[in-house]
Amino acid sequence: MPILEVKNLKKSFDNTGVLDDISFSMEEGQVVTIIGSSGSGKTTLLRCLNFLETPDEGIIKVRDDVLFDSRDPGTCSEAERRRKRLHFGLVFQSFNLFPQYTALENITLAPSLLAKEDGSIDASGIRNRAVRLLEQMGLSDRMGNYPHELSGGQQQRVAIARALALDPDILCFDEPTSALDPELTGEVLKVILSLAEKNTTMIIVTHEMSFAHDVSDEIIFMDKGIIAEQGTPEEVIDNPKNERTIQFLSNYNKGNA
Amino acid sequence: MFATVTLTLFGGFLQTIKLFLLTLLFSLPLGLLICFGSMSNVRMIKVPVRFVIWVIRGTPLMLQLLVMYYGPGIILGVNIWGSGDTGRFVAALVAFVINYSCYFSEIYRGGIQSIPVGQYEAGEVLGMTRSQIFFKIVLLQVIKRIVPPVSNEIITLVKDTSLARVIAVYEIIWEGQSFIKSAGIIWPLFYTGVFYLLFSGLLTLLFGRIEKRLSYFR
Repeated sequence: MPILEVKNLKKSFDNTGVLDDISFSMEEGQVVTIIGSSGSGKTTLLRCLNFLETPDEGIIKVRDDVLFDSRDPGTCSEAERRRKRLHFGLVFQSFNLFPQYTALENITLAPSLLAKEDGSIDASGIRNRAVRLLEQMGLSDRMGNYPHELSGGQQQRVAIARALALDPDILCFDEPTSALDPELTGEVLKVILSLAEKNTTMIIVTHEMSFAHDVSDEIIFMDKGIIAEQGTPEEVIDNPKNERTIQFLSNYNKGNA
Repeated sequence: MFATVTLTLFGGFLQTIKLFLLTLLFSLPLGLLICFGSMSNVRMIKVPVRFVIWVIRGTPLMLQLLVMYYGPGIILGVNIWGSGDTGRFVAALVAFVINYSCYFSEIYRGGIQSIPVGQYEAGEVLGMTRSQIFFKIVLLQVIKRIVPPVSNEIITLVKDTSLARVIAVYEIIWEGQSFIKSAGIIWPLFYTGVFYLLFSGLLTLLFGRIEKRLSYFR
């Protein structure tokens, strides 16, 4: 059974279609990378999955759980949304760490609030887990630092740990290295690669083609709100069939030839 | 003579401080309410609130004091403020509270709207509620940003309290001026300036400390 199923997703802003009938599915432990030019709808797709945007039409299903169905208003309510969105984690292009909290506090904040609601107060458990995640990110010496004391790459790694702390079924990345200078890109990509090796289910929007090639089980090429081509990295990146894909990748493939 | 003047001025200064503190006590929270009103998605709330802010910020505080004190008596035919010193003080306080809450509301609005939308979205995707996002993430960042403009406004308030004299609230300048008539001396008037300077100096130190306390993050 697929871990995620997206069916006929449509979304437009002010009558401009951004997503036009998107359908795809993925299996647990898979890494799917979405590539395409700016304005092709990649980010909007991720934002729909994370309920930052409400799709106009379509179905989003995680395992057997229908998270969103445009024909069933019950799935669209605000209160329902909060718990459902926890199936997904999102790492932003601009990190969006909370500046008044330390690296460690950034990670423990949301789990602590959720635990309080559930009536289970396991502060030390939450803290230990956050410490382990930061160690995994190679940031054990940065736990007490505030975001402005960290480099962009370190901030993004804290943001990844923060998203992982809630155990999402699917972790989404929205151009995680686009705000970083080239020197810092590598350390973030390395962390994502190591997550892939641990079979973390991930959807990644990126412009880093060779990284996409290495990390992905499947590549989706989006163009003008539709999935223009989809397949393994070898199929889509090395031997694209679609004319738009060929055009989009021409610079990258020229450099590699 | 010096002791008499000091004592009289101090009495006036107590009125000034009382008006100052009570104005802050009511206008700081009322400003937040007005701020939410001015940012409301409901036109029926937003439009009238913005209209009131426009009127209050667009007319002199002195005019508002006069209208507040004399208006009800002349227009409605009832003196809602009661008689004597207390009545005048309450009228002045109400006028100050309305005026300053409108100014504070605009400072709050600027502070809230300056927080990047990414902060809200990060909270949302972590399953936080709207109120958790406001109180645990946004609020402290807003406070940090509005401390300088709010402290500016508060120091202005210290000096604006002297306007209350137009409806005969006996604040410190009123008392200082009384010596011109009664004793033919002007230095008590200069002396009142010392009170203002000391008090605003104290406030400046206080706000400096608050800014420093919040400087651990950016």
